[in-house]
Amino acid sequence: MALFVAGLSHKNAPVGLREQLAVEEDKLRELLQDLQASDVLREVVVLSTCNRVEVYGVAEAPGEARALAFRHLCRHRGMDLATVEPMLYTHLEADAVRHAFRVSASLDSMMIGEPQILGQVKDAFALAQACEAVGPHLHPLFSQAFKVAKRVRTETEVARHAVSVSFAAVELAKKIFDGLAGRAVLLVGAGEMSELAAKHLVEHGAFPIYVANRTLARAQELARALAGTAVPWEELPTALATVDIVVTSTGAVEPVVTRAAVTRVMHGRRGRPLFFIDIAVPRDVEAGVDDLDDVYRYDIDDLKQVVDANLRERAREAQRAETLIEREVAKFLARQGDVEVIPTIVSLRDRLEDIRLGEVRKTLARLPDASPETRAAIEALSSAMVNKILHAPITKLRESSRAGASRSWLELVHELFALGRRA
Amino acid sequence: MHANLINAAIIGYIAATGLALAYLVQRHDLVHRLAVLAALAGWAAHTVALIIRSLELGAPPLGSLPDAISVAVWVIVLLEVLIEQRTGVRVLGAFVLPIVVMLSLQATGSRSGALAPALASAWVWVHIALAMVGVAAFVFNFAGAIMYLLQERQLKIKRPGAFYYRLPSLQTLDRLTFRTLALGFPFLTTGLVLGAIWARAAWGSAFTSDPLAFFSLLAWVIYAGTLAGRAVAGWHGRRAAYFSIVGFAALVVTLGAGLFLPGRHGS
Repeated sequence: MALFVAGLSHKNAPVGLREQLAVEEDKLRELLQDLQASDVLREVVVLSTCNRVEVYGVAEAPGEARALAFRHLCRHRGMDLATVEPMLYTHLEADAVRHAFRVSASLDSMMIGEPQILGQVKDAFALAQACEAVGPHLHPLFSQAFKVAKRVRTETEVARHAVSVSFAAVELAKKIFDGLAGRAVLLVGAGEMSELAAKHLVEHGAFPIYVANRTLARAQELARALAGTAVPWEELPTALATVDIVVTSTGAVEPVVTRAAVTRVMHGRRGRPLFFIDIAVPRDVEAGVDDLDDVYRYDIDDLKQVVDANLRERAREAQRAETLIEREVAKFLARQGDVEVIPTIVSLRDRLEDIRLGEVRKTLARLPDASPETRAAIEALSSAMVNKILHAPITKLRESSRAGASRSWLELVHELFALGRRA
Repeated sequence: MHANLINAAIIGYIAATGLALAYLVQRHDLVHRLAVLAALAGWAAHTVALIIRSLELGAPPLGSLPDAISVAVWVIVLLEVLIEQRTGVRVLGAFVLPIVVMLSLQATGSRSGALAPALASAWVWVHIALAMVGVAAFVFNFAGAIMYLLQERQLKIKRPGAFYYRLPSLQTLDRLTFRTLALGFPFLTTGLVLGAIWARAAWGSAFTSDPLAFFSLLAWVIYAGTLAGRAVAGWHGRRAAYFSIVGFAALVVTLGAGLFLPGRHGS
């Protein structure tokens, strides 16, 4: 019996092929049932997202199981297995465990640390569970994979730093201001990206929101959408004096916020920082404001630069996550090994204990006058013998399981001690 | 015994400094935990050393400047660990612990004896204790100023580096420097006034030609100016940070002068 994963992902298969192979949920259910019925696969989980199609399974012959699973997948879409086959990767046993952990922890994702994949793996597992396609091998594997994913998320920063421009702006604001709660935001101009940035700021507690636009009606419309207040265009300079964060995205050719205007308001702000998020191209805020104290201006290129730095930071953190996963894989395998041999150890112990108790009872029945000391001595003697006899075989079984070679030993022990058939 | 324990404490602080700096680069929880552990181990040795020293002297270990600095260091390490835990600013150690090491080495570099019994009075303990609380506060003031300048620089050049990710927000850092200044200044002031009164009683003049007295007055003037600037002229951020650094430099010179130059405070 071997654990394996076979599939293709964004790393080796073109998007065209991936979308062709991807399966929707009701088809997936059918597929799981078909595979279950085949007898080739003991347990199976199929993960199908836009970035990967993978089959996790337990089978006597993983190669055969893989071919069967992907033949089914191809048939759904009227594809030829031969076109898919060369793209497939297969990982066995420890490598399969590692792969499951890495995928769940979003280390194998196109965007490292993206949060969706864990949910998708959970869904795939739940569906397989509903189809009764998971058992003693895949159940612990996936439960552990979810725990490992959570550890990676909380103990490393793979998912910490923003990888979108609008979230990067929110993070920057948090490095300037002592929290965003109660920070006033002014939106100058309307645009999808500035609206998005404003929404993120509001989600982090920014309030109130002001909207200025050359056409007041448009400002009012947007203000309604964001639960803010519209500000007449002429009052823009005064608004600058009171707000903390300004998001600009007008289509103006000339800067809307000049250095002179900002210089004027900074005196009255008593050191309160002013943060410009300038998403417009051409830019709305004069770059000259950069050398004013307490003014921070990020245009779209600056924000992209921050995102790039964040991506590098994530990649560095991913290195740490990999070591964490290595350790978890080793732990999981050790535990699995024990799980395999423990039932045998227990029945071996029970067997010898039965023999011992039977013999002690017989002996004591023949010695009705034995003193309590003698009885205790007989008990102790027999227990000690059983323990001494068991010591070497149990140690050997544990060792063999860690070395991954427990199967033949288990069978041998069962035969020798007539322990009956193993499950 | 006392000397051995002090050396153990300094070794603990040096190890903690190394680990705290490593934590800036390699942000491993384990590295931070080890840094805190090393600092606490040093601090424990330090505590025992100070107790032994008091028993030896039969008085609080504040009679000589090296002893007093040692007590200040002890307070700083305790505060550093506490503030880190309370505020979650785990990089604080990287900025405070190097100063701890510097002060510890400065204090052991010169070792003067106990105070002449004729000069010992309750005033002098209070004078020294207050001044040292002031010094402790200004160490954090200095660390806050450095962190502010680093974070401000990162945000201005728009290329996020290690400090951008590790340091808290500008407003948090500016508040830290303001609060530590507001806390340290009254202690320093009262400490200096008591010193002057005591000097007048002992030598007949409040401002004798003592190097420590001279430099401490200079440091006091700088801090007074910064505080006034903050309170009245709305100074903040970069300018306030620069002044904090200058003030702290004066404070370091003050302590150095007391330790290594002949005068009323030292050898």
